[in-house]
Amino acid sequence: MIDSGTQSRNARLGLVFFAAYTALYAAFVGVAAFGTFSGGTADGGLSATAILGLPWGVVAGFGLIGGAFLLAVLYATLAARGGRG
Amino acid sequence: MIYSTSALSIGVFAAFVLAVLALSFWLGSRARSARGYFAAHGQVGWFVNGIAFAGDYLSAASFLGICGMIAFYGYDGFLYSIGYLAGWIVALFVIAEPVKRLGRFTLADALNSRFQSRGIKVVAAITTLVISLFYLVPQMVGAGALVKPLLGLPHWAGVVMVGLAVTVIVATAGMVSTTWVQFIKGTLLVAICSFVVVLILGRGFTVAEPPIPEGAVQTYRKDSAGTFVNGQPLAESNQLDSRLREQHGVGFGSVASLPGGASSTGPLGPVEYVRVFADSTVTTWRKGTDSEGSTTYTPMERKGSDMLLPGGSPTFKGVRADGTASKLDFISLMLALFLGTASLPHILIRYYTVKDPAAARKSTVVGIGAIGFFYLLTLYLGIGAMTSGALDPTDSNMSAPLLARTFGDGLFAVISAVAFTTVLGTVSGLIMAGAGAVAHDLLSDAMRLELSDAQQVRAGKVAAVLLGAGAIVLGIMFERMNVTFLVGWAFNVAASANLPALAMLLFWRGTTRQGIIAAMATGLVSSLVWILLSADTLEKVYGYSAADAAAGSLVPFSQPAIVTVPLGFATLVVVSLLTRNRGVATLQAA
Repeated sequence: MIDSGTQSRNARLGLVFFAAYTALYAAFVGVAAFGTFSGGTADGGLSATAILGLPWGVVAGFGLIGGAFLLAVLYATLAARGGRG
Repeated sequence: MIYSTSALSIGVFAAFVLAVLALSFWLGSRARSARGYFAAHGQVGWFVNGIAFAGDYLSAASFLGICGMIAFYGYDGFLYSIGYLAGWIVALFVIAEPVKRLGRFTLADALNSRFQSRGIKVVAAITTLVISLFYLVPQMVGAGALVKPLLGLPHWAGVVMVGLAVTVIVATAGMVSTTWVQFIKGTLLVAICSFVVVLILGRGFTVAEPPIPEGAVQTYRKDSAGTFVNGQPLAESNQLDSRLREQHGVGFGSVASLPGGASSTGPLGPVEYVRVFADSTVTTWRKGTDSEGSTTYTPMERKGSDMLLPGGSPTFKGVRADGTASKLDFISLMLALFLGTASLPHILIRYYTVKDPAAARKSTVVGIGAIGFFYLLTLYLGIGAMTSGALDPTDSNMSAPLLARTFGDGLFAVISAVAFTTVLGTVSGLIMAGAGAVAHDLLSDAMRLELSDAQQVRAGKVAAVLLGAGAIVLGIMFERMNVTFLVGWAFNVAASANLPALAMLLFWRGTTRQGIIAAMATGLVSSLVWILLSADTLEKVYGYSAADAAAGSLVPFSQPAIVTVPLGFATLVVVSLLTRNRGVATLQAA
């Protein structure tokens, strides 16, 4: 079993990671809802070209999915360092 | 549409299903105790559990529904992929380890860990049953959609087959067999879909020749005199796409033009594939009704870049409108997807199958990897289906299997069988969650029946049979609905009913038993009532026209989470503050 100190540390770490990802997700939803269309026409936001000729919508979507995995691996690594857990 | 069957399809399908059932019977001998039946003895390895998470979570909605939605409407389907995956962040960073520490068999165990309250057990069991039923319906609808082209059987036959197979799986060995079915399914689904994406990239894009003109409207009418396609009786030689295939070489869903006027691209890399698609024009089909009451499908050319933006589907069309109110549906659904995953009972019970919180954490990371990779593939599967010339405009759920058929009957058979196993894996998990709620939470804990280990297992099996029967009936009733859309409702209800109670229990010491009960009941009832009164329900369940549904709806938008989740939190805080002194007084008296 892991001790309560490690549990608390992991919980705090989890909340920091959760807050960071939530901010990215909220920004994505916000841009999709309010920053992409004006008067029914695509205007910037997710319709703008990001990198490699791909639109921001695709790049952001792939980024949120891939980023979740990277954050998960980072969290698991840091949490495991704190103790046997 | 009429689908022809082949001996190969039937053979592959039968082999898959029989293998899964045989595995269940074999594993059945390993789960005699309640802990074995409901939690696989808590001895599942973290890697197996992680892939089983994928098998549990990647349901018919993810595979059939998202691919279908991307194929028909573009980016809106991919929004579900993003939201479904993002929800795992909440599960990993906030919920996984505490839930593993606090619980034993069910969600109610964790919620009740501080209070020993029968009320919490009853409410948690009811929310588990309601959410599981909401989630079961789209799985059964997906099964029905699959057997039509695969076995030439009607929708109801597929629903009954899944219902019976799953009941056998759950009733034989419970969580042990469910885990392995989900592990096999998760592995197969990701592997086969990766293979199909490789084929899609290898094929690239080809323009329909000659181009499909705007006037090439196809009509479909079904009445007491029979089914008619373009004015002629439906037959093997006169299907909805027969005329298109004769004249243009492709059916529904094709490329109208490619960059630089090319007629074909040849093989493309994953980045190039999306970039070329964005610079191309595709032919999509708008559904309507003509003066004679026939359903019409009218070709519409749309830029690929437009298909890669949100707001193309009826569900998210408000994104493209001006004003905040019209966008609330979209924001609310994205919130429900984000918060719903960590509140789904059939996902949470997987945390009890591993030995400790560290294994729970590691298995979640594996699950996120497998699930995330699959969701990346959905964009390619959806675009591949959209441009495959093989869509069935009457059934978006069939887009992925029909895409596979364009690569040969063998792949079609395999992917349909995998999809069917997909349904089996998810439905098994849902019925396990429901069976645990009935046998463990309601009968044993809430009603205080003195059940032995064997009797709890038997009660769980009886509950599984009853839930399976209920799922069959509902799956037949909701045949025509897109499965992803239905799952969106389940996420709304789960996020509203369970998340406030779970989160506050973990992070606020002031939470009381009354607060948890009130929050769960409020979240459940408010989200259900909101959904039942929404324009989407009036249109898609009760059959009103879109205009009448919008006029008759009693709520301003259809997805409730943005209102009902905060309502659940507020209820918990207010009721906990009002009842806190009572709890302290009781403790002092004791």
